[in-house]
Amino acid sequence: MNREATLVDRFRSRWSGAGAFAATELRVQMHEGLAIAVSVTVQVIFLVFVSVLARSYLPYTLVGAVLYSAFQTGQRVQNEAAFIRIDHKLHELYHASPLTPEAYFLGLATGVGIAYMLPIVVLFVAAVVIVPLGVSATLVLAGLLGLTWVFVSSIGYTFSTLFHDMRVIWPYATLFYNLFGVLPPVFYPLWLFPAYLQPLALVLPSSGATALAERAAGILSLSAGQVELALASLVTLSAAAFLFALYWARRQVREG
Amino acid sequence: MSGDALVAADVRKVYRPRNASPVEALSGVSLSIAEGQRVALLGRNGAGKTTFLRIASTLLAPTSGRVEVFGKDAIASPESVRPFIAVVPQEGKPFFHLTPREQAYTYLRARGFSRGTAKDRTESALAQMGLTEVADRLSITLSGGQRQRVMVATVIATEAPLLFLDEPTIGMDPFARREVWESLRNLTRKGSTLLLTTHYLDEAETLSQRVYIIDRGKLLAAGTAEELKQSMGGTLRVSVTGGRAILPELGTFGPTVQDGESVHVVTDPSRVQELLALAMRAKLPATVGPVSLEEAFLRVVGRSIDDES
Ligand SMILES: Nc1ncnc2c1ncn2[C@@H]1O[C@H](COP(=O)(O)OP(=O)(O)OP(=O)(O)O)[C@@H](O)[C@H]1O
Ligand SMILES: [Mg+2]
Repeated sequence: MNREATLVDRFRSRWSGAGAFAATELRVQMHEGLAIAVSVTVQVIFLVFVSVLARSYLPYTLVGAVLYSAFQTGQRVQNEAAFIRIDHKLHELYHASPLTPEAYFLGLATGVGIAYMLPIVVLFVAAVVIVPLGVSATLVLAGLLGLTWVFVSSIGYTFSTLFHDMRVIWPYATLFYNLFGVLPPVFYPLWLFPAYLQPLALVLPSSGATALAERAAGILSLSAGQVELALASLVTLSAAAFLFALYWARRQVREG
Repeated sequence: MSGDALVAADVRKVYRPRNASPVEALSGVSLSIAEGQRVALLGRNGAGKTTFLRIASTLLAPTSGRVEVFGKDAIASPESVRPFIAVVPQEGKPFFHLTPREQAYTYLRARGFSRGTAKDRTESALAQMGLTEVADRLSITLSGGQRQRVMVATVIATEAPLLFLDEPTIGMDPFARREVWESLRNLTRKGSTLLLTTHYLDEAETLSQRVYIIDRGKLLAAGTAEELKQSMGGTLRVSVTGGRAILPELGTFGPTVQDGESVHVVTDPSRVQELLALAMRAKLPATVGPVSLEEAFLRVVGRSIDDES
């Protein structure tokens, strides 16, 4: 009983304030309604291209667009964390306070995540209707979105701490998200990817999650081994990235 | 109740920038601040003020040394200290897309205050900082001094037991600075302890109960502003423009400090007439005034606080 109480206390003191900081960040982000709306530009352009050029691939592009949108929130988390730290120096206000570094990271990621969820919901609904997605496929896609969010938020936050200049962050971030989000089979089906590279595509969180979602939707067939590989990789990478971000947040709160 | 809010012992910091040689920013700083005191670190650009403040507020690791906040080890267990402190960072800015009211309120909520307390403290801090009129404008539309006031309001609203303020009144007009000073005095009346850095001699003098003069990473003098002035050995200051030419004669009247071409002589009222006569004979303009912290600073540091060289 006592032991439980202390565990609860520890949980509370570690995470309290995360919700309030998420609300802060959400409010900040909501002032940039346009930025949120245009965050799906690339996805919409791809959807237009595909519906004009190869309509039969549209379901794949649509599922990919949903997951890519979640994948991209990592970039928003990264930019926001870097901006608060480098430009505003506001992180010092929050770090020298009872708000733990872990709660700061989670609050920031949650606030940004919720703000950028709006366009994702629109694409999601479009996917449910057009692909179409049944109940179980819908649930699977929602779960995959969650895992993707955990992965990219963690990576984005960790990345943000490595730079001292905003202008340096942008090109690297663009490279990262294009290399891992656009190039692999996210907007197009796995089978169009070179066969010998397909295991790699399944291991990558972006294309791996997409393949799993498409399989759940019944538009992509994967062997049991492929499903296991993609799922194990996504879960492991998300958990590892999240735990590392927690460790890293605590470590870098005090500069060396 | 009264113990030490902050104890620092032999704090050293060496920065090791990439592609550049190491910089010793602090070379063995020791000080202690009693609970409820207002203390200023006074020093020129690059003296090490921010470095010390960031180490003491758990945001920067020292190269060596010990820091205790309310008896807790701030180096080994910073998380045990953080609930008791709040910081106004140098050149910090509020969220551009929050209003001053939202900034202070959400910050208090993130620190764990209840809605009611957060609301009351926010309103009171905004009023104290003269921000009521702009309280619902996005900070991006505020002037530099107003933004700085938002930062100070946000932090004083915490009423944290130990507050660190790095150049809190930078960019503020004289009225706003007085408002800040008054709020800070109120805070210490309620029991908080303050450590602030400043280049403003008047801020150090009027606001602080104890002043540390820091230069090139070392504390060179400490005391009340009054004590620092008295250590000059006189009560009046005669400033002689171009006085370097007659420095040896001036030196016979008391301690001298050079400030560019001018020489300030600290002396007794009884000798002022004689000194002015000397300056007149040398055809050098001279003015008389009370000894200020500036002379003490000049003598201790060897250069004026606003000397650009
Ligand atoms: N990150 C850093 N890397 C290398 N050197 C640094 C770093 N930060 C500060 N310094 C150096 O350490 C010294 C002390 O800097 P600090 O910022 O503590 O001065 P300060 O007294 O706050 O000055 P100011 O009045 O200009 O704010 C300076 O010589 C500065 O150049
Ligand atoms: Mg400074």
